[in-house]
Amino acid sequence: MSNRKAATARRRLFAVTRYHAIGLFISLLFIAPIAWSALVSFKPSSEAARPPLPPWPVEGFSTQSYENLAKYGVGIWTYAGNSLTVAAATVVVTVIISLLAGYGFSRFNFPLKNLLFVLIISTVMIPFQSILTPLFLILTKLGLQNTLPGIVLIYVTLHLPFSIFMMRNAFDAVPKEIEDAARVDGASVLLMLRRVMLPLVLPGVATVAIFAFLASWNEFLAALILLTDQKKYTLPVMMAAVRSGQFGSIDWGAVQSGVMLMMAPCLALFLLLQGYYIRGLTAGAVK
Amino acid sequence: MSAQHSQAPDKATIELKGVRKSFGSVDVIHDLDLKIAGGEFIVFVGPSGCGKSTLLRMIAGLEEVTDGDILIAGRDVTDLDPAKRGIAMVFQSYALYPHMSVRENLAFGLEIARTSAAEIKRQVEAAAEILKIGPLLDRRPGQLSGGQRQRVAIGRAIVRKPLVFLFDEPLSNLDAELRVSMRVEIARLHRELGNTMIYVTHDQTEAMTLADRIVVLRDGRIEQVGSPREVYENPANLFVAGFIGSPRMNIIDGICLAANRLSIAGTEIELDRPLPAAPQEAIKLGIRPEHWLITDKQADALPAQVEFAEYLGSTQYVHCRLANGELVTIEQRGGTDAKPGERLWLNCHQAALKIFSMSGEARRRVPAPIE
Repeated sequence: MSNRKAATARRRLFAVTRYHAIGLFISLLFIAPIAWSALVSFKPSSEAARPPLPPWPVEGFSTQSYENLAKYGVGIWTYAGNSLTVAAATVVVTVIISLLAGYGFSRFNFPLKNLLFVLIISTVMIPFQSILTPLFLILTKLGLQNTLPGIVLIYVTLHLPFSIFMMRNAFDAVPKEIEDAARVDGASVLLMLRRVMLPLVLPGVATVAIFAFLASWNEFLAALILLTDQKKYTLPVMMAAVRSGQFGSIDWGAVQSGVMLMMAPCLALFLLLQGYYIRGLTAGAVK
Repeated sequence: MSAQHSQAPDKATIELKGVRKSFGSVDVIHDLDLKIAGGEFIVFVGPSGCGKSTLLRMIAGLEEVTDGDILIAGRDVTDLDPAKRGIAMVFQSYALYPHMSVRENLAFGLEIARTSAAEIKRQVEAAAEILKIGPLLDRRPGQLSGGQRQRVAIGRAIVRKPLVFLFDEPLSNLDAELRVSMRVEIARLHRELGNTMIYVTHDQTEAMTLADRIVVLRDGRIEQVGSPREVYENPANLFVAGFIGSPRMNIIDGICLAANRLSIAGTEIELDRPLPAAPQEAIKLGIRPEHWLITDKQADALPAQVEFAEYLGSTQYVHCRLANGELVTIEQRGGTDAKPGERLWLNCHQAALKIFSMSGEARRRVPAPIE
């Protein structure tokens, strides 16, 4: 009897160990590149330029790479500020427009509603690189070329189809009767949207916000083409400049510290909103 | 119960004048007139798709009225917002705000109406006391059972101190036992508050037990308005006869032979009173399951063969086939158990026999006026 118990315990221990070992191995695979970047970013510049093994700093920790990066061009804070402004503005404008449009598509009936919706969604299928030239010309005509509002407009346009689709689904998942109840309670459309509907579609909003933030924070091509003034560069464009080096020498430490710097807000935002994000993506999957 | 509720000017009449509703080219409510007295408990019943919920939503102001007028307490509210009509509504799915606590759910309408915080607190607590949901006030709807949620939904209606309560199938999401106890609660609420209430259901028991008057609807038209007893005992037509009562009334074909002689399924029956039909006229006969008698063979009895029997404890439903193939249901209390294939002889309480024309109107009395 006790033998059987011991055998069961051994089997369970083995299963648990195997489960955690596999999990740990897979986690290491995912963490390794990030850890490597982080470790290299803390090597002194001279060491960072040498062959990368071992990955950890052997000549002592140093923030030299970060200092070099901070002094790059017109200063890292200008670029980070530009990126943050563009990403935040893109998030705010995308959320507001997709919230209202999603509500409209979900709740109101108007002629050609479905056609219009399909039309909006179908723009996702156009590769955006193919329309960069016309976009550039339009922005120039509008006097928005080489401005941050111009690039925000482009990003918002690119993210709206997905965002509207996401928000329409989020509103579709809210029972109509809740809205009826709010109307009986005397709520106006805007008050109802703000106090009743918004909290209920928050997972959708979080998903839209994360996508818009990540995409606009990391976007490179449009920023590279539309921004010509070095003072208006966003972080990805600056990173490309760091990566291409000066006079043939590349400061690998600065590149890795740039990677860390660019990753930090994305990670923070995702960790902050991940609960909502997952709920947003799976909304309506089960009742 | 708090004094404020009993003092409310709550005996509001409701009047529908030529009310019509169409979705595109499809008419769902046809030119409907109805007067509801102050303090009355009215139940709309009908099969699904008959327009009962649409009609309720029109009274609530959640659905636009295509044509006609709706008056609440003598005031034309046809074009008013739901919040300005003096109504409160309880929905089938409860429609509580999931992100707010019970207290916030109850207070939401009052907050919008800019009621003072002290007054909100007083009213929320008064409503919570009536519905015994005091201990639940700080919970979220997701943490409540179905019955508790429905109480909160009713509480949200009560705090609005409406002239009229509208219930849209409020109990259909609850299990059978809870439904019975909530039904009793709603009846108590009506007794205590005395407001005019309109209640939509497809459940006959709810309709019969709660209603002062039942409005039977079909295809957007009123088929009959009357007390539960009236619609059960004197249905205005075949539809009402078949719809009200469970198991449904047996409708069988017959031919009037003479003033008081009748042929049903090939058997001639002598009646104790003259038929409201012309000689040789084909008619429909309505007999409720409880009005059949199983007898020993008699001259005036119908032969029938038992198809199957359902034992329900206090009663037994015997499903039989008549000589002409028509299926009838008999409610049997006591007696021996009927076995499938057995031959029976059926008689009926003649006083309870309903006569309908072939087009479906009741022949004994004119349909009750819509009042």
